[in-house]
Amino acid sequence: MKKYIALVLTLVFLGCSSGSDKPDPQPTDEGKDRSVMLKALAENVIIPSYDQFKTKFDLMSAKSKAFTAKPDSQTLTEFRSAWTDAYVAWQRVELFDFGPAEKQIIRNFFNIYPASEAGIAANITDPTSSLEVPASYPTQGFPALDYLINGLGANDTSILAHYTTDKDAAKKLAYITRVIARMDSLLGKVISDWKGEYLNTFISKTGLDIGSSTSLMVNGSVLHYERYIRSGKFGIPSGAMASGIPAPEKVEAFYKKDISKTLAQTAHKAYVDFFNGRHAVTGQAGPGLKNYLDALGAKDSGTGKLLTESINAQFQTAAAKLDVLKPNLYEEVKTNNQAMKDTYTEMQKAVRMLKVDMTSAMSITITYTDNDGD
Amino acid sequence: MRAYLQKYTSAAPLAVFRAIFGLMLAISTGRFVALGWVKELYINPRFFFPFYGFEFVRPLGEWTYLLFAICGISALLVAIGWHYRMASVALFLSFTYIEFIDKSTYLNHYYFVSLLCFMLLFLPANTLFSIDSRQNQALRAGQIPAWCLDSIRLIVCMLYFYAGIAKLNSDWLLEALPMKIWLPAKNDTLLIGTLFNHLETAYIFSWIGCIYDLSVGFLLWNGRTRPFAYASVVVFHLLTSLLFPIGMFPYIMIVTALVFFPAEFHQKIIDRAGRLLALPAETIKPIAPYRFPAWLQPIVYAVFALFFVFQITFPFRYLLYSDELFWTEEGYRFSWRVMLMEKAGYTQFTVTDATGRRQVVNNNDFLTHLQEKMMSTQPDMILQYAHMLRDHYAARGFTRPHVYVDSYVALNGRTGKPLIAPDVDLAQQTDSFRHKSWITPFDNEIKGL
Repeated sequence: MKKYIALVLTLVFLGCSSGSDKPDPQPTDEGKDRSVMLKALAENVIIPSYDQFKTKFDLMSAKSKAFTAKPDSQTLTEFRSAWTDAYVAWQRVELFDFGPAEKQIIRNFFNIYPASEAGIAANITDPTSSLEVPASYPTQGFPALDYLINGLGANDTSILAHYTTDKDAAKKLAYITRVIARMDSLLGKVISDWKGEYLNTFISKTGLDIGSSTSLMVNGSVLHYERYIRSGKFGIPSGAMASGIPAPEKVEAFYKKDISKTLAQTAHKAYVDFFNGRHAVTGQAGPGLKNYLDALGAKDSGTGKLLTESINAQFQTAAAKLDVLKPNLYEEVKTNNQAMKDTYTEMQKAVRMLKVDMTSAMSITITYTDNDGD
Repeated sequence: MRAYLQKYTSAAPLAVFRAIFGLMLAISTGRFVALGWVKELYINPRFFFPFYGFEFVRPLGEWTYLLFAICGISALLVAIGWHYRMASVALFLSFTYIEFIDKSTYLNHYYFVSLLCFMLLFLPANTLFSIDSRQNQALRAGQIPAWCLDSIRLIVCMLYFYAGIAKLNSDWLLEALPMKIWLPAKNDTLLIGTLFNHLETAYIFSWIGCIYDLSVGFLLWNGRTRPFAYASVVVFHLLTSLLFPIGMFPYIMIVTALVFFPAEFHQKIIDRAGRLLALPAETIKPIAPYRFPAWLQPIVYAVFALFFVFQITFPFRYLLYSDELFWTEEGYRFSWRVMLMEKAGYTQFTVTDATGRRQVVNNNDFLTHLQEKMMSTQPDMILQYAHMLRDHYAARGFTRPHVYVDSYVALNGRTGKPLIAPDVDLAQQTDSFRHKSWITPFDNEIKGL
């Protein structure tokens, strides 16, 4: 009898561990197929978003050339407007901080703020200074351009004077060209990687261990939400984090000021769209983290509510707080800071859900170091 | 009982076990050092989580390497049976010391290894097939008391059986949790991957895993079922090592289960190895029976009796606590609860004081990833960390700091919720074996043992 039981046990065990007689993946499997998700995200979301950004970036680049060729009130206005459009479009790709973007650490060169005025001045004086070391992060990218076209003087006349009558005018124009050339080169590398070798690597590394595409993607994007949307745009300027002292000068687009809310809104929406797998061009929802979590059946065992519904609801709550803010977040910190802190608090709730509920349901380990808040 | 204690059996299985076990530990230790884990786990961290009552176990800094050297060398000495008694003491102490430095590295299999080392301290595992027996004629023995070997078998059986009992709960059996979560993560495994997408597979794995754990010890003990049982041990552990990151544990279990095989099997191994190493016949096949020194015998009996009473009862201490074990983890460790739940957490600490100072803590300033991950789901570690923060900020100008934690923990797919009451000043709580009243009630039920 015992022998029989043992035999059956062993056979059942062997049977279920090596059986390949099951039918091919059924439709229900497709949602759980990470290669499908990765392919769709790369082709429908990530690469088209970079293309869209590239268009805006090239336009800005052209306008900057017009400005440096002939700095006047009209070219400045046009450059500024193109800079705004490109900065907004950047918010839709900054979250892809994995793979090529992580390799080039493109965010650090594109959007570390507040800009260092002293560092920029030093770089203008010394055109051979390095723009590759960490100390140079706040002297380049969008925040540096913000300072150069919005912050050098109190009004357009005095800003234009820096580029026309100032003794270092030529050097300042040259620095604008240098900053844009550097951005152009980094962006070119990231896009060509995505369109080349990396696309296959991304789709084929289907595991969930450290270094797999899904793990890198989840880690990179959750980190983005936590540190660069929640903390960078709200937690740090409002003083909701660390020692509690507000720092309005740390808002994004500090010199332009009136676009800081638009940037934050765009970044937040980009994250929500990415989570829902929305096509960058058509806006159609497709395979993505939401579908994957739904296919896994991730739901609260108490209420039966889908986890993705809860997460999307929390995104909406946070977005609603963000939507009622005034366009100038610098002013909001100074006069209406509680609303900034409230936005931070709602985003914080979303962070927990992403970091705990989502990663736990997916069996992914958060591996990044959280070094914000000080 | 008296008759049983006087029963003798071949010394070969225990000797082979000693040799393989020592060798495996030496390899494990070498691997641990080679992977850079000594630095990562025991030297780099700023703060450590000692076990309650074992706070005297402190990290040793660079000297930790010496500790590992002692552990590795004594494991080798145990394997070859040279100065066996001293080596086994050194092995037990060094291994256990390492294990007790930091709670975040706790693994059931380290505990298991510690227990085996402890037992080997007393057992006559060097009476043959050892350098000691080659050098010391008086030591040679081919027969040892049967309980010596049986006690090793018993602890192996207990490990499996208790691991099986721990699975007798509604999450594991009725919800297929956490298998339901873990298996789809491996759905890209070659050939068998698509199976893991099916809910049925998660149920089959859960049930088979449970039945396997409950029965395999007995099936190994029984001669007729042994070959099948051993085959299932090999398949089971290889499969788990394929699916889950559990290091050396599967291999240690695969070789440890050899102790159930009959004496002839082990004698054959010794004969063959003996020929290969050109060992003299008298250390391969001694005849004399081993006798414990008269003064030692009652002590050894008492130690083993206490040891097993402890082993049988200690895993059930969780019954003394009211709330859900998986949630509070009061009585969770040292109870053979292996790969039993999916738990993840997030904690944010705030330190304040009466003068209005306030600091939101960045955990990565103090803890490693592993430590933060472990701390975030385990109340006793949250308290230890809170005390560390209290002392840290008190030394930096805070007057009698208060420490609060905003915690968020998800257990087996349930949406996360606070694990610790957010308004309790952890700086003023103390650790003890009593229930921690500041743990938020689970208000959900996992039925079963």
